[in-house]
Amino acid sequence: MNLLRLVFEELFYRKVSSLIILLTVIIAGTVSVAIYTLSKASENETRKIMREQGLNLYIFPKGTNLIDFYSIGNTPSFPEEYVDKLAESKTFDAVRHLTGILQVRYSDWTDPNGSSHQIVLLGYKDEAMQRFLPAQETMGFDVEKGKVHVGALIARNIRAGDPFIIKGSDGRSRSFQIEERLEEGKGMIDQGVAFNLGDLQDVLGMQGKINKIEALGCVCKDGRIKNARNQVQAIFSDLEVTELSSIADARENQRLMMNKYGAFIIPFVILSCLLITGLLFYQNVTVRSHEIGLLKAMGKSTYSILFLIIAKAFFLGLAGGIIGFFSGHLVAEYFGKEIFRFTASDIKPLWNVFYYCIILFPVLWVLASWIPALLATRIDAAKTLSQE
Amino acid sequence: MIELKNISKEFTHGTEIFTALSDISLKIKKGDFCSVTGPSGAGKSTLLYVIGGLIHPDSGRVIYNGMDIYKLNRRDINQYRSKNLGFMFQQFHLMPYLTVTGNIRLACDGKNIEDKISFYLEKCSLADMRNKYPSELSVGEKQRTAFIRAIISEPEILLADEPTGNLDAANSEILMSLVKDYNKGGGTVLMVSHDPEISGYANRNISLCKGRIQLNKTEPSS
Repeated sequence: MNLLRLVFEELFYRKVSSLIILLTVIIAGTVSVAIYTLSKASENETRKIMREQGLNLYIFPKGTNLIDFYSIGNTPSFPEEYVDKLAESKTFDAVRHLTGILQVRYSDWTDPNGSSHQIVLLGYKDEAMQRFLPAQETMGFDVEKGKVHVGALIARNIRAGDPFIIKGSDGRSRSFQIEERLEEGKGMIDQGVAFNLGDLQDVLGMQGKINKIEALGCVCKDGRIKNARNQVQAIFSDLEVTELSSIADARENQRLMMNKYGAFIIPFVILSCLLITGLLFYQNVTVRSHEIGLLKAMGKSTYSILFLIIAKAFFLGLAGGIIGFFSGHLVAEYFGKEIFRFTASDIKPLWNVFYYCIILFPVLWVLASWIPALLATRIDAAKTLSQE
Repeated sequence: MIELKNISKEFTHGTEIFTALSDISLKIKKGDFCSVTGPSGAGKSTLLYVIGGLIHPDSGRVIYNGMDIYKLNRRDINQYRSKNLGFMFQQFHLMPYLTVTGNIRLACDGKNIEDKISFYLEKCSLADMRNKYPSELSVGEKQRTAFIRAIISEPEILLADEPTGNLDAANSEILMSLVKDYNKGGGTVLMVSHDPEISGYANRNISLCKGRIQLNKTEPSS
């Protein structure tokens, strides 16, 4: 008889024990997937908030007067290569998402109706790749050359479909295609225009210059912000780091807290479930000692006996992993909306996690059944079969 | 066919040493029907399992068709059991989750086995029970299923450990006539039993006491 058939016949015969083992996998899968999905959703929302609010660390030339920076705009600039040098430094790891920015007040922008306004111009350099650190999704503004994103207050003065026209420092007017009209409530950019850095440098005649680097630094209370300051100053002593606290900080703290709990809860639940599974398989082997003794007497090999136990664990692990993935997603969707107020779109099935589930859970459950399976191979057939 | 040479086996229970077999030498020829009798603890079952390759003796050799089975590697000893031996036990040991045919199929490979199974089911009056589970069978039916499982692969030797121990007189008689038929067909039987009547089916009686052979008598063929 086919051994696989024997596995399934036994699995369906001892329904209660099989169901409890399946349940342990489902619980482990559900908890792991739910926590991981919520953590990812929280991370995505944090990223979204940060993208809307801007990054939380500003790197300025040393001695920059921030009042002047925001009100007048004639603060010192520095070479844009500084961003790349920081990104390429192996010792610079406390800060992520380095974005070089040229930000100036432009006092005489004339809208299509002929009215003059003071606006803010922001030129964004493409976010620098820190190739010595794990890759992350970019957070900064990504403005294509020849295009602009206009703030809500400025957009009111430009009709849909019209270009954005601005006079350069050389007296020549330049026209840009408006790629996006931003919504209101995004801070300084409400009264500003976001350019590609190269375009704005050309408008202002400030080729190769920026006056600020925005970045994301960890706001946790473990001194990493201080570390970031030290790291920047070790590379460029003429720069200094300023922290901007925001809602994003709180959100980031929430995410870190979730990760911290997740790092404890997921292994705890999985290990508990594995322990229960190990005990259930031990009980299963004890109950089946006569069957196993008989198979040995019939000349079945040690591998066949191992297979009977391990294959059962594998199939239950696989089934539980698949069910656990989907139930974990449903739990994350339910609690994500109810407790964390995530937007529905942030909680999506993480298909890469699904692949982990269908590999990891069968493997873990096979490992949990390993000792009972070994004990099964050591059953003394003569002893068990001669019992009256 | 099988020769036991100076087989000894002791078991230890705590500090107590129990001698199950003591310097047993025995030859079993093809076609023998041996009944092994003796009081409890005489070493009857141990003798059976030593021949079955399931209890490694402390000393001595078990030679089957010229090869010492305890010098075989694990794979070959498994093959020795699966190809040459059929086991029957007092407790039947049927898989509770397999039907009658499922239990019989456990012991045989191959695709064209159905006719053979049907033949034996018919012969053992189990044709109507083929799709029943052990829990739905009487003890006699269970033991007949175990008998078919033991002989379906046509082993040379049937090792039976108190096969009638749980059967009433009528069922014992049915089973023993089936075993006798198997023996008449050329099969060798080694059967452990307490029941003196069962010994009447055998052509050779081996009596053990305290691990030693007390009687090894061949009866004229009945």
